[in-house]
Amino acid sequence: MTSGNPIQNTRREFLSRGTFGAGSVALACLLQQDKLLAIPKNVTLEPKTYDLTPKVPAVQPRAQAMISLFMHGGPSQMDLMDPKPELTKRDGESYDGKVVFSFFNRATSRLLGSPWKFEQHGESGTPVSELLPHMAGIVDDICVIRSMHTDTNDHGTSIGKLLHGGTRPQRPALGAWLSYGLGSENQNLPAFVALPDPERHPNKGIQNWGNGWLPSIFQGTVVRPKEPRILNLDPPPHLKGTLQRQNLDFLQELNRDYVERHPGESDLEARIASYELAARMQTDAKDALDISQETRATHEMYGLDDPVSQEYGTRCLIARRLIERGVRVVQLFLPFQPWDHHGGLRKNLPEVCRKTDKPSAGLVRDLKARGLLDSTLVHWGGEFGRLPVCEGNPTNGGRDHNGEGFSLWLAGGGVRPGTTYGETCDFGHRAVVDKVSHHDFQATLLHLFGLRHDQLTFLHNGQEQKLTDNQSCRVVREIFS
Amino acid sequence: MFRTRSNLEAKNTEQLMHRLMCLCPAGILLFVTSVCAVQVARGEQELTFENHIRPIFKAYCLDCHGGEEELEGGLDLRLRRLLVRGGASGPAIEPGNSEDSFLLHRIREGEMPPREIKVPEKDIATIASWIAAGAPTAREEPQNIGKGIGITPEDRAFWSFQPLVRPVVPDRSVELRARTTIDTLLLAAMRENNLSFSPDADRLTLLRRASLDIRGLPPTLDEFAKFSTDDAPNAYERMLDRLLASHHYGERWGRHWLDVAGYADSEGVTTADTVRNFAYKYRDYVIRSFNADKPFDQFIVEQLAGDELVELPYKDLTPGEIEKLVATGFLRMAGDGTGSGAPDQDAARNQVIGDTIKIVSSAFLGLTVGCAQCHDHRHDPILQTDYYRMRAIFEPAYNWKSWRAPSARRISLYTEADRAKSAEIEAEAGKVAAEKGKKRTEYIAAVLDKELEKFDESLRESYRVAYYTPADKRTEEQKQIFIKNPFLKLNAGNFRQYINQKQGDDLNSYDQRIAEIRSHKPYEDYLRVLTEVPGEVPATYLFHRGDLKQPKSAIAPGGLTITAADGQRFAISEKDPSIPTTGRRLAYARWLTSGKHPLVSRVLVNRVWMHHLGRGLVNTPSDFGSMGVEPTNPILLDWLASEFIEQRWGLKRMHKLIMTSTVYRQASRRDSEKNAIDPDNRFLWRKPIQRLEAEIIRDRILATSGKLNPKMFGPPVTVSEDEVGQTVVASGAEGLRRSVYVQTRRTLPVSMLRQFDMPVMDVNCDKRASSTVSTQSLMLMNSDFILEHAESFARRLQPETGGDPRRQVVLAWQLAFTRSPTEKEMERSLAFLDRQVEYLKTSEPARKEDEKEDEKETKKEDQEVKRLDPELQALTNLCQALMASSEFLYID
Repeated sequence: MTSGNPIQNTRREFLSRGTFGAGSVALACLLQQDKLLAIPKNVTLEPKTYDLTPKVPAVQPRAQAMISLFMHGGPSQMDLMDPKPELTKRDGESYDGKVVFSFFNRATSRLLGSPWKFEQHGESGTPVSELLPHMAGIVDDICVIRSMHTDTNDHGTSIGKLLHGGTRPQRPALGAWLSYGLGSENQNLPAFVALPDPERHPNKGIQNWGNGWLPSIFQGTVVRPKEPRILNLDPPPHLKGTLQRQNLDFLQELNRDYVERHPGESDLEARIASYELAARMQTDAKDALDISQETRATHEMYGLDDPVSQEYGTRCLIARRLIERGVRVVQLFLPFQPWDHHGGLRKNLPEVCRKTDKPSAGLVRDLKARGLLDSTLVHWGGEFGRLPVCEGNPTNGGRDHNGEGFSLWLAGGGVRPGTTYGETCDFGHRAVVDKVSHHDFQATLLHLFGLRHDQLTFLHNGQEQKLTDNQSCRVVREIFS
Repeated sequence: MFRTRSNLEAKNTEQLMHRLMCLCPAGILLFVTSVCAVQVARGEQELTFENHIRPIFKAYCLDCHGGEEELEGGLDLRLRRLLVRGGASGPAIEPGNSEDSFLLHRIREGEMPPREIKVPEKDIATIASWIAAGAPTAREEPQNIGKGIGITPEDRAFWSFQPLVRPVVPDRSVELRARTTIDTLLLAAMRENNLSFSPDADRLTLLRRASLDIRGLPPTLDEFAKFSTDDAPNAYERMLDRLLASHHYGERWGRHWLDVAGYADSEGVTTADTVRNFAYKYRDYVIRSFNADKPFDQFIVEQLAGDELVELPYKDLTPGEIEKLVATGFLRMAGDGTGSGAPDQDAARNQVIGDTIKIVSSAFLGLTVGCAQCHDHRHDPILQTDYYRMRAIFEPAYNWKSWRAPSARRISLYTEADRAKSAEIEAEAGKVAAEKGKKRTEYIAAVLDKELEKFDESLRESYRVAYYTPADKRTEEQKQIFIKNPFLKLNAGNFRQYINQKQGDDLNSYDQRIAEIRSHKPYEDYLRVLTEVPGEVPATYLFHRGDLKQPKSAIAPGGLTITAADGQRFAISEKDPSIPTTGRRLAYARWLTSGKHPLVSRVLVNRVWMHHLGRGLVNTPSDFGSMGVEPTNPILLDWLASEFIEQRWGLKRMHKLIMTSTVYRQASRRDSEKNAIDPDNRFLWRKPIQRLEAEIIRDRILATSGKLNPKMFGPPVTVSEDEVGQTVVASGAEGLRRSVYVQTRRTLPVSMLRQFDMPVMDVNCDKRASSTVSTQSLMLMNSDFILEHAESFARRLQPETGGDPRRQVVLAWQLAFTRSPTEKEMERSLAFLDRQVEYLKTSEPARKEDEKEDEKETKKEDQEVKRLDPELQALTNLCQALMASSEFLYID
């Protein structure tokens, strides 16, 4: 089924391949795909149906797929990729600016210079902390944005703003919006895959990949961190093959009868589509998740040879295999919020760097080597950054939340490589130059995918909803290549 | 600069949209009848400070300009005259001259507010028009206003805070389809939009719908047969009565309440997620209360203050007293990490209090009061002092300065006699333990002697002395001896490696004797309760910005200011002199259930409506404030709320009222004409289709396979993680009980249930999500659970049908769908069975080979693959398809 380069599998090919059974509803929907691009306003006479077939975006897209390495907790920008010599110089002195703290009981105004050294790397000379030696090796392929801000220093709120465009829990996640706007290049795999950590779900749990009020087919599908990676993927041996195919055909006949009795129920249509996807996943997902097909050199590139980075590296590698097969968005998560270093910064920050640095860099290298980086946007970043002042005492203390200014990096997908964009103040507390808000970030990201933030809308409760929540925002074109 | 306001900006937007929706004609559809007219009128009326400008300022500006005592730039925006007076930069506005108004200039230039979130164009235009019109006010402004944002007449005019007045109902007789007042009120709204009810659903649909709704289980074959042939005019009503009398009713509707209460069998918060061994008694209390149709006012009072209805001390308790105490388990549902190693104890304790307040307020008030913990609520008229008034109600029981961890809050059910008996037995066990200790000392001495024999005689005595010298009294020399001779670390914990089997067995025999003696102790059972320590009455302080390290003034207990008429806020005395505890919770519960509270009955009937009809009249069941959604039919909501009180808070009467109404009895099929007018079915011109909740899907599968274990009550069915990391229910008969009895471990939600959107209890759940994803499909295709029950279902069909496929199909349809198959369905099913049987018979040898190959791959070598004969396998597959089908997963 997956002969040839999987990423070139087209919609036509999919049509000609067929799946199981005849008269599949998804196929019928497929033929209407062009109509679905622009969601009709206030028209509900024709019941809406939704599918994951590829949609043609409004603008020529630069990016086709996205891998988001979400760093829950708030990585400390001044210790990682936003060097602040002034802060280092004035280490221990009192900060006279205003600071918003989350944890009053341990808050201080004592400036804490980064305990780690920065050096410039690559031709671009992008400075990177000694904590991220592997990121240092890919600086010429990435764009560091140092002027992010969500203006909120609460985890949940900031995650909401960055991933959902707002804080209401019912809002759809970024990945759900992209699946809604673009569908998937591969009908045998989910459009949006979430790869949570084996240890624990991230802060805000399944909301991170929730579809909110978007139709449920745009929800992120969890690929489990351990085998079986997709639960219940395989039928028992005695039902495999013809029998299960017959079972499904029979089941779908029942389901189609039911829709006929209840026309216009999009949830019932989605139920049918979900069975079809489930069946197709059986063959294709297995192959996509089988990393034993990769060479030893590739394993090493992703840090699979080091027990500390092995688990995260495995997921990064799977992410590449998924987007290679046409999955639109893959998002990786960490256990709860390991970057949330209120204390023990010196000990704990290096640990989480070791877990993620090599795999993240390996992913970019590998994508580049395979010619996939041009069309794949890689995102690395958390919901906010951290404060320049010390929380608790300077030796075993840490840093409190900071939504006023933080860093993230992007690679590929039409982003200008080897650049940094924006600046924070001398202490790294506030974004001051070329500020990028969460809505700017989302608008920019959608633009890379050829989608316009003010046109990708969904009619919910009589309102045209957008990822950017109808807020003013700008596309940061300066970072485009 | 502005301070950080975590949730504010996002909420602003929502509020803004909400406001726009009210003003723009497209939004009219949201409201019905009189409300509709009001909204239109507002769009045309003169702009005033109170109605149009202040809400904009409240959302974008008051944080720094009036909300706190400290005023940025000395500018206070809370009154029109304060705007004219202005601040450090001069007057903020010049009435009649919008172009020269400083405030407008600053807003237009994007300088204010200084954050990213800017005042939208539309609002700026409103402000400009208002200034240009001379900046009118609705009335004369007050001479003095207190601190903070306060509560304005406009706030008081908000719909949900209006006293509950029973609406005048139009004449029912003019409406042909109206069976109840509910129908009359709905039809009145529909008529204006050329809508009307859909035809009644067929009777089997009604039976299935009512049965799943009330019991969460499908009708039995017997019920199916009887109802199909019952031609009496009141057959439907009698069917409802039978369902409401079923003890499964409490299991179904009790579960709805457990969502609101945030029920969990574990403490959450820390990674330990300590199990709550006795929480289940609260779950049983809820189920029993629903089954007994306990008046809901009584149910509320017991849950909030059952302990204050029981005489102290809590000893030798009667069943009635136990019930009241167990009811307070409601207030113990919030996650509590204080006994399982939460790092910051003070924060953890206050978190318990905060979450409890959140549960209470969402359950009974339908409000999110949490925002007022740090400052006056930015959108709803809830003052920060109101939040702490509410906190003062609970603080005597949750005294964070003199905290009791969960284990210290239990009440033992030991009677005095039990206690005496237990002490006697402990004494006896103690004797044996002492004997064992003596024996052990002897053995250790013997071991030491033996070991010392290995040394030169001259050393032995000094070593022995060193050994018996307590560690802290040893000389330097003795310490050296220990370092050189590790064997001297000999102690009660490690000496066993030196003794022989016989000696070991000898010591073990003492343990066996002790265990045997203790086994005669009466079982010590506990209640999970919230109680107060009499005489302990801590003061409640307002925390500046919610920071418990910054206590300010002391606050007395009371209700929210907005829930009573101006100047008549409900106050609670610090201490009720008639009982040993403070009586605060009791007084509060009585206020909530007085019938005078504007929110309680509205919130409760709205939830009942939501469960019956898929969506509340207020679609945000725990937000009746300005960020919530306004009722689609406010008159109906008020009528139901007052009817509920008039019917003495009887829930079953409400069920019957709703279920006998035409609105509930309609068919669910969309009508294209009506759909064009109201695609979202706001007017309820058809019965919505509802996906069954996770628990009900599982229960329905068990009921259909015939394996359901109907056992009620008691300790929860355990769950565990299986080898692939799924959380599964225990095996055996226990594992076949209804889902409401399955342990709710916060960190171990049962995978099958979670996949169908069972909530993970963070705090509580006011409304369930409903997703449709392929992982659910895979579960219904391949999981052990579905395969097992498909086979049971098939086996259940065989004896009753004598192996006749036609009869099997009929019975399968009746059990799964409460109807007989159509001729088309019959033919299709028979063809399917034929096809499968034929395939199974002809391809048998080849299949076996394949399986062997597969088994090698899939590690199941030692597990004999179960083979069914072809007929049974085919029937099993048919049964599985029925249970995986949409008709099985939805109520239509």
